[in-house]
Amino acid sequence: MDSQFIVSLIIILATFALYIWIAVINNAKGTSDFYVAGRGVPSVYNGMAIGADWMSAASFIGMAGTIMVLGYDGLAYIMGWTGGYLLLTFLLAPQLRKSGSYTVPEFIGDRFGSKTALIIAAICTMIISFTYSIGQLSGSGVVIGRLFKIDAGLGTMIGVVLIAIYAAFGGMKGITWTQVAQYIVLIVAYLVPVIFMSLQITGNPLPWLSYGHIVSELGELDRALGLSEYFAPFENGTKWQFLALMFTLMCGTAGLPHVITRFYTVKTMKAARWSGAWALLFIALLYFSAPAYAAFSRFILMTQVAGSKIAELPAWTKTWVDTGLLSVADQNGDGILQWAELVIKNDIVVMATPEIANLGAFVIGLVAAGAMAAALSTAGGLLIAISSAFAHDIYYRILKPTATDKQRLNVGRITIIIATLLAGIVALNPPGAITQIVAWAFALATGTFFPALVLGVWWRRGNSKGTIAGMVIGLAVTLAYIFAAKYGGFTILGIIDTGAGVFGAIAAFAANIIVSLSTKPPSQEIQDYVTNLRYPEQMTYKDGEVHMTE
Amino acid sequence: MKKIDKSVADAYFREKNTYMIIYFVIWAIVSYGVVAIAEPLSTFTFNGFPFHYFMGAQGALAVFIILLFVNAIVGDKIDKKYGIDEKKNEEIGSKTTQNH
Repeated sequence: MDSQFIVSLIIILATFALYIWIAVINNAKGTSDFYVAGRGVPSVYNGMAIGADWMSAASFIGMAGTIMVLGYDGLAYIMGWTGGYLLLTFLLAPQLRKSGSYTVPEFIGDRFGSKTALIIAAICTMIISFTYSIGQLSGSGVVIGRLFKIDAGLGTMIGVVLIAIYAAFGGMKGITWTQVAQYIVLIVAYLVPVIFMSLQITGNPLPWLSYGHIVSELGELDRALGLSEYFAPFENGTKWQFLALMFTLMCGTAGLPHVITRFYTVKTMKAARWSGAWALLFIALLYFSAPAYAAFSRFILMTQVAGSKIAELPAWTKTWVDTGLLSVADQNGDGILQWAELVIKNDIVVMATPEIANLGAFVIGLVAAGAMAAALSTAGGLLIAISSAFAHDIYYRILKPTATDKQRLNVGRITIIIATLLAGIVALNPPGAITQIVAWAFALATGTFFPALVLGVWWRRGNSKGTIAGMVIGLAVTLAYIFAAKYGGFTILGIIDTGAGVFGAIAAFAANIIVSLSTKPPSQEIQDYVTNLRYPEQMTYKDGEVHMTE
Repeated sequence: MKKIDKSVADAYFREKNTYMIIYFVIWAIVSYGVVAIAEPLSTFTFNGFPFHYFMGAQGALAVFIILLFVNAIVGDKIDKKYGIDEKKNEEIGSKTTQNH
């Protein structure tokens, strides 16, 4: 056991202890604590929790690498995974908060007065969240596995046990405050290496101001090699694919149940607005930095690694070649490593930076702890979403409305434990790469919940039959396009499986509107319910009149 | 509870919506708009970046954050204009936890 391993282990265990301690002191005392954190979380902290919930292992480890590989086209992920917060905060969050629901399926059930709609929404929630959480548990398995040099599967099960403990204990309240801690860990872990890299390469400690010139220099280096420039637009896909992907990611943001439920934990509609603003600010700290990581890493690889004698490569390259993420070859036999002879996998960019920049064992351990924080925080939010879809929406609202608070809490806890175990088992042998699985979850959310919620909140005429048609058809079209594009090579305008949400959303909106207009309108009571969501809490709309609480 | 004219509540709604539409127009321009004309924009530079890259990596994101904070601040001002008191909202909001 070398000292680097021990330092990393200590840092990770310290952060794990912190998360469990926070969960224990926030032990859920009732269903209000368990599902909506007692509705008392201040906006700034809620913003941090949303940030941690949002940034998963894929963002932390994978995004910088994706941008390095895709160049300009990778920026669709940056804009797509941030721009959606405007859709969420303007169109949905305050209104859903006023409705007083605990979950998205409950809102759909109440808004449309339909148990069928509630059940379909609960099932969609479970499918989307389960898919997404497989990616997270698989990611945490990889980190733990690489760190301790144990099987990634064993690493996954360790993650499973940990999450089951602190999610079942604290419910939403425990998860939210744990996420605040996880945010701080992950953002410090992400920023420290890139700040040092910026200092070393440009002399400027602010990577966001300094990497612009590096991007241009990379373009020159590419031109000299006869390659297309790093920043050239649409080299990796069509313009339509960029736009479709950006649309899918933005609308998916506003349609993911585990993200939307975060806005139920605040006190008021105003607090919901502020939570959205704080959340994006905290998320942006990472998203501003990812392209900097990409540019600096590529620069180092092109100038210090490529072009060197193979026998004289920097020391850090050897360890990464051993893990299989970096491979060097000498195809032309000249003893020098050309850029084309170097093969890089995405994951290397963030994880290898502390070694590239010579930052020492502490920072290496910190980055590993940060990756774990990112994976665990997202997994926690997802598992609460699954648990609430079953224990609250199906068990309490449909199967046993007379259940006591205690019974509901117990069912909630048991559901978390079972869901975590199942997701962990599937994660041992995942159906695809982490980012791919995550992209499918987004596409499904764009095709099902985004249209259902936007029309549900903003269009009084929308009725239950229309929404059911919309959700089912949206789900079908999205799945069909994903399969057709991925396995059949079928694309429209060059849009691949990750952009499938566009077609799902169009189909869902159309189906919802057509079926709603062809069947009878919702009752006056329901239409009033929708009108009421437009106004702040103090103004209540009922029976054609508005009353203001004094 | 006192009754107020529905037209007052509707004016609130309309005012909020007007701002929201403005925010969405700006949002669409800095993201979709810039991507649509990325090629011609790539000839300019900003802080060392080719301009289209700057917008995709930093510019659009900065605008998103600003719009969200502007929405929060302006939303508070509109609430105040219509006599909405946040303390009352908190009381009302906390009651909805008992409905379950």
